[in-house]
Amino acid sequence: MHDIALLVGYGAAAVNPYLALDTVTSLRADRARYVQALEDGLLKVMSKNGISTVQSYRGAQIFEAVGLDAELVARWFTGTPTRIGGIGLAEPGDEARVRHARGFAPGADGLPVGGLYRWRRDGELHKWNPATVATLQDAVRRADRTRFDEFERLCDDEERALVTLRGLWTIDEPAAVAIPLEEVEPVAAIVARFVTGAMSFGSISAEAHETLAIAMNRLGGRSNSGEGGEEAHRFEVDANGDSRRSAIKQIASGRFGVTAHYLVNADDLQIKIAQGAKPGEGGQLPGAKIDERIAKARSSTPGVTLISPPPHHDIYSIEDLAQLVYDLTAVNPRARVSVKLVSEAGVGTIAAGVAKTHAACVVIAGYEGGTGAAPLSSLKHAGLPWELGLAEAQHVLVENRLRDRVRLQVDGGLRTSRDVIVAALLGGEEFGMATASLVATGCVMLRKCHLNTCSVGIATQDPALRAKYTGTAEDVVTYFTFVAEGVRRHLARLGARTLGELVGHADRLRVRPLAHAKAARLDFRGVRGVPAHHVALPRSFARAQPWDLADHLDHELLRRADATISGGAPVAIALPVQNSHRAVGTLLSGEIARRTGARGLPDGAITVALAGSAGQSLGAFLVSGVTLALAGDANDYVGKGMSGGRIVVTPPAGARFAPESNVIIGNVALYGATGGELFANGLAGERFAVRNSGARAVVEGIGDHGCEYMTGGVVVVLGPVGRNFAAGMSGGTAYVFDPAQTVRALTNMDLVELGAIGDDSDAWLVRELIAEHVRRTRSPLGGRLLDHWEAMASRFVKVLPTDYKRVLAARRARPASAVHLPVAG
Amino acid sequence: MGKVGGFIAWERIVPGKRPVGERLADWREVTVDEDPAETTRQAGRCMDCGIPFCHQGCPLGNPIPEFADLVWQGRWSEAYRRLAASNEMPEMTGRLCPAPCESACVLAIAPAELRALPTGEAGGVPSLVLPGAVTIEALEKAIAERAFAEGWVVPRPPRVRTGKRVAVVGSGLAGLAAAARLNRAGHVAVVYEAAARPGGLLRYGIPDFKLEKHVLDRRLAVLEAEGVEIRCGVTVGAPDGPSWEQLRAEHDAVIVATGAPRARELDVPGRDLGGAVLAMDYLTEPRRSSVPPAASHDVRGKHVIVLGGGDIGSDCLGTALRQGAASVVQIELQPAPPPDRSPANAWPAWPLVFRTSSSQEEGGVREFAFRTTHLEGQDGRLVALHGTRLDSGAAVRLPCDALILALGFTGPTATPPGVALDERGNIATDASYATSLPGLYGIGDVHRGASLIVWALAEGRDAAIAVDAALRR
Repeated sequence: MHDIALLVGYGAAAVNPYLALDTVTSLRADRARYVQALEDGLLKVMSKNGISTVQSYRGAQIFEAVGLDAELVARWFTGTPTRIGGIGLAEPGDEARVRHARGFAPGADGLPVGGLYRWRRDGELHKWNPATVATLQDAVRRADRTRFDEFERLCDDEERALVTLRGLWTIDEPAAVAIPLEEVEPVAAIVARFVTGAMSFGSISAEAHETLAIAMNRLGGRSNSGEGGEEAHRFEVDANGDSRRSAIKQIASGRFGVTAHYLVNADDLQIKIAQGAKPGEGGQLPGAKIDERIAKARSSTPGVTLISPPPHHDIYSIEDLAQLVYDLTAVNPRARVSVKLVSEAGVGTIAAGVAKTHAACVVIAGYEGGTGAAPLSSLKHAGLPWELGLAEAQHVLVENRLRDRVRLQVDGGLRTSRDVIVAALLGGEEFGMATASLVATGCVMLRKCHLNTCSVGIATQDPALRAKYTGTAEDVVTYFTFVAEGVRRHLARLGARTLGELVGHADRLRVRPLAHAKAARLDFRGVRGVPAHHVALPRSFARAQPWDLADHLDHELLRRADATISGGAPVAIALPVQNSHRAVGTLLSGEIARRTGARGLPDGAITVALAGSAGQSLGAFLVSGVTLALAGDANDYVGKGMSGGRIVVTPPAGARFAPESNVIIGNVALYGATGGELFANGLAGERFAVRNSGARAVVEGIGDHGCEYMTGGVVVVLGPVGRNFAAGMSGGTAYVFDPAQTVRALTNMDLVELGAIGDDSDAWLVRELIAEHVRRTRSPLGGRLLDHWEAMASRFVKVLPTDYKRVLAARRARPASAVHLPVAG
Repeated sequence: MGKVGGFIAWERIVPGKRPVGERLADWREVTVDEDPAETTRQAGRCMDCGIPFCHQGCPLGNPIPEFADLVWQGRWSEAYRRLAASNEMPEMTGRLCPAPCESACVLAIAPAELRALPTGEAGGVPSLVLPGAVTIEALEKAIAERAFAEGWVVPRPPRVRTGKRVAVVGSGLAGLAAAARLNRAGHVAVVYEAAARPGGLLRYGIPDFKLEKHVLDRRLAVLEAEGVEIRCGVTVGAPDGPSWEQLRAEHDAVIVATGAPRARELDVPGRDLGGAVLAMDYLTEPRRSSVPPAASHDVRGKHVIVLGGGDIGSDCLGTALRQGAASVVQIELQPAPPPDRSPANAWPAWPLVFRTSSSQEEGGVREFAFRTTHLEGQDGRLVALHGTRLDSGAAVRLPCDALILALGFTGPTATPPGVALDERGNIATDASYATSLPGLYGIGDVHRGASLIVWALAEGRDAAIAVDAALRR
C-alpha cells in the first residue's frame, strides 16, 4: 500500500504491480480483491491527508524522508524534506541482495515470518517485546528497583539497535560536573511533569481508566480522559482520599461527553488536533465496545459504532483555534488549555500559531506508541519521531520569542528516564507515557484493542474479561516513581539540580559513534542545539498568557444571577450585546456547573434577553436552567457544546424581512452539543449540528454538511439543506420539510435512510417541536406549517441512520432490562 | 488469527487419556488422539497476539500463531510445512515437550487452577490446568500425525550434494535434528551411534507409554530415505571404534551429540546393597514394548522406591506400576512446590508449581522434603530405606526391596580428548556451537547438560545452520 501511495504521490498516473499480481495469482487468490484493497488503501491514505480526489493527491508529494541522503532525495525525490541525511542508493541495494540470498539459500524452508506488525523472535525489532513487557511488569509488581534497572537497560540496548533517533545519541555527562544526588530536586517535583496518554473510557475499561487516574492523582501527575467523556461520579473524591478524576480533559473532534460539567472538572483542557500514532485519523470505537455505561458517558447509543471526524469542525484556522481556546478558558478559567499536535515538518510554525492563541501548553506527539486499535495503514510510514517535531517546535518558538509563553509536552513511546532526559534536552517540559503506563497495569500488547477481546481486561468492555483485570494504581505509581528516580540520577550526573535547568539544552546530546552502515551518514546538526545567535533567548516556559476575561459580558450575568445559582428565585436579565462579546453564557455556565454539578438549574431559572449582534460562540457549553433569548443575529458557533438550556434567536424587533429567507446564525452551530434546545427563526450557516449527540433544534434552513457525524438528538429543518447532509450520521434523527423533494439528492446516503414521518410518536414529536418554535420565536413559517399540519406532515422527510434504527428496533423488541448489558458497579 | 473471541467461547480442552486401569495393563501411549473438530476449535482459541509470548517461550521459536491459524482455517498441510520449518520432529515435541510455550501463553496469565481434567478420564485426579492456554502441544501432535497419515511427510533428499561430509556422533534428538538438516542442505551426514539401534533417549530412556517406538522408527525411515546414514554399534573413541582424530580427519565437521548420561549418585551407607538400580539402567529394558522386561529389573511384587521427583522419576514410577510393583513411593528431596506461581515466579516464566504427571495419576505415593540417610540390608539385599523428613525432622523407615535412583545427570561420560570443557564438565562452545577444536561442534545435553528435548531439537537445528554456513565459507 505504501508503495502505491508513494508512487502516486510522486506523480505516477498508473501503477502496475505485476509481481504482486502474479504472486496473488500463484496463491490462487482473487486479483480483483487485491486491486480493491489497494484502491481502498489509497483512498484511506488520501483521506488521512485531507485530500478528496486522486487528481489532487497525484504529485502532491506530501512526504517527509527520515534517514535518506540529501543528494539522493534531491535527485529522485526532489523537494521532499529530509532533515537528518542518511543512506544513498548503495545501502538498499545491499539489503536487496541479502534478502535474495536468504530467500534462495539451499535448504531454505520458506521465507521468514518477518514480524513487521507482530513481534517475532527472528523478525523486526519491536520496542515492546516479551523481555521488556515481562521485566517492566515484574519490576513494578514487586517494586523491585533492580528489575526496573534491568528494564531500562533492555530499553536502552534496544534503542542502540538503531530503532529511534534518541538511540543514536548519548547524553554528555562529564564526571567533572556531577553533583551529589541529595542536591537534586525530589521525585515529587519530577513526577508532577508526567502524564499518561489520552486513552478514552470506552477504548479501555472503567477499571483500567480509573487505575491510571488514581495513580496520577496520588503522584501529583496528570491522567488524560481521552475523548470519551467521563462519568460524573469520578469527580467526587473517594472515601480513602483517592480521586478517579482525570486531570486532563480532552476535547477532540468527536466532542464525546464534552459538557460544561466535564470541562470544569479539569486542570488541563487539551484540544486534540491530531494523534501522533495515527495522524489524520479520529478515534474509532466499535459498537461491540459500547455498552450502556460507555454510551451514557459519550451521549451516544449502545452498540452503535462511533467514529470521530478527522478534523474539528469548528477549527479551520489558527483564529478558529484561538476561539476554542477562548471558549474553554471562559467555561473553566481555572484550567489551562493545551493543544496536541503531531510531529511533522512544519509543526514549529503551527506551534508558534498555537502560542498566539493564548493556549498554555503545546503537546508534540510522535509516531511511536499508539493504540493497538490503530489501523495497519497507520502503524508504518505515518507520522514522525517526536525528536524531530520537538526540536523543530523548540527552535521556532525560541526564534520567535514565543517559547516563554507555552510549555512543551512530548509523548510517543517514552518509557525510560533516559527518554525523559533526552526529551527535556530537546525542549520538553512535560512527558507523556501512555503505553508504558498501560503495560504497568498488565497490558501485554495483544493488539486486539478494536475487537473487545482483550484477555487482560484493559481494552474491553466484556464483563467477563474485565474481571481478569489485575492492574493496580500502586503499580503505576511505582512505575512513574522509578522513572523519576532514574531522572534524578541522570540529573546528578549532568550537574543539574532541577529538570527545568536542562530544558532546551540540546547541546548536551552527542551523536554516538555509529558502526552500522546505514547510520554512517546521518547528520543531526539541524536537530540539536539552538543556533548561537539565539542562545540568550528564553528556552523554556516562564509565564502563562491566558485570555483576559475582564470584559466578558457574563460577569454582569453572574452578578445578577448569583442568588439564583445558589438556589434563589428565578431571574430575568436584559442586556444589549455586540459582536465583540464572545461566548456569552459560557462563563456563567461554567460557574453553574461548578456549583450545581451535572444537574444544572431548573428550566427557566435564568432568562437572559439579549438584543443586538452576538459575537462568536453564543451559548457555548450552555447548561440547564439558562435561556438565552437573542433578538438580532449571532455569529458562528452558536450553542457549541451546549449540554442543556435553551437558545432562542429571532430577528430584531421591527425587522421587515422574511425570517425564513435570511441567515440569522453563523456556521457550526450546535457542534458537539449534548443537550439543550435551539430555536432559530431564520437560516443557519454550514455544518449545522455536526456531532450533535443530544440537542433538539428547529431551524428554518441550513447550509452544507448539516448533521454530519451526528449521534443523537433531533434536528428539524423547516427549509432547505445544503450538500452532504447527514454524512457519517450514526445516531439521532433529522426531519426536513421538503416540499420540492430535493433532500434525497443532497443527502449523503452512506449511513442513513430516508423515510416519511411514520407513526404517531414521530408526528407528535415534530409537531410539538414546531409548536414550541412558534411559541418561542413567533416564526411565520412555523405558524403556516401548523395551520396546515395535516397536509404538511407528509412533506417532511425523516432521516434516520440505518445502524441506529436497527438498535432502536432491537430495544423496542426486548424488555428494557434485557437491553442493558451487564455492567459492574 | 483464529476465531475472534474463540478463547471466550471455548474453554481449553486437552486431549484425553485412557482410563488408568487400561493404561496400567499395557505399555501403549497414555493419551488418546483428539477429534480433529476439537483440535480445530482449540486452534481457533489462539488470538494471534501482538507479542506472542508462546513463540518466545518456545526454545525452537515455533511460529505458533501461524500454524494455529492455519489449522483453524483447515489448511493442515500448510500448518505442517510451517511447523516443520522450525521443528524437525513435531511428533516428538507434540508428545514429550513440557510445553513452556503454553505456560507463556497470554491466556495463561491468570493464576493456574487445580481442577479435574475436563475429560475426567484421569479418574478425577486433580491436575494442573492452565486456565486458558492454547493447547499448543496437542496441536503440534495433531498436525504431525495428520501429516504422516496424509502422506505429507515425504523424504526430501537434497537435489545437489556439496561434497562435504559431516559426522554426527550420537543419534539422540539433537544429533538427528542436526543430521537431517545438514543432509538436506546437501552435505553427507553420517550418524555414529554406540547403541544397537538409533534414537538415544527416545529409544532407551522414554517409556512406550509416552512414546511408542514406531513413531521414532517412522521418522528414522524418512531421514534414511533422505540420505542420512546411521551407523549403529560404533563407539567413537572406544578401543574397537574409530578415534575422534580419525573421525575429524575423515569429515569436514564433526558434531558431538552424545548427551549427558552420567547419573548423579546416591552417597549414603548401603548404596552397594543388591536391589538398587540407576534409572537409566532400569528404563533401558522395559520401554521397548516389543521385548519383555528383563528379569533383573522386573519389580513385580516388590516394594519400590523411586528417588527423584522429576520426569525420569515419573517414568520409573509408571514403569514400576505397569510391572506390577506391590507399592511404589516416589521421593523428592525438595519440598512440594506451591500450587500457584510465587510473586518472584511471574508469568511468562516457566511456572515452578505443583504438577502431577500421567504416571503420578496412575498410582504410587509421593513424598516431599525427604532426605535419604541410609539403606538397610539383609543378607546383602536391600530391605528398607531410612530417611528424615526435613520439615519435622522425624526419622522414617520405609520398607524397600527395589530402589531406583532417578537423581538427575551430571554431565557427559566421555568427551573428545583435548576439547575444552566448561566448569560443569560439559563441552564448552561459542554461540555457533563451535568447540575449542577446529571443525568440532558440541550440541544438546553434552553441551548444555541434561535438558528438554525441545532444546535438543533447537540446538541440532541451529548448529546445522552454523555448520552449513561454515562449510560454505
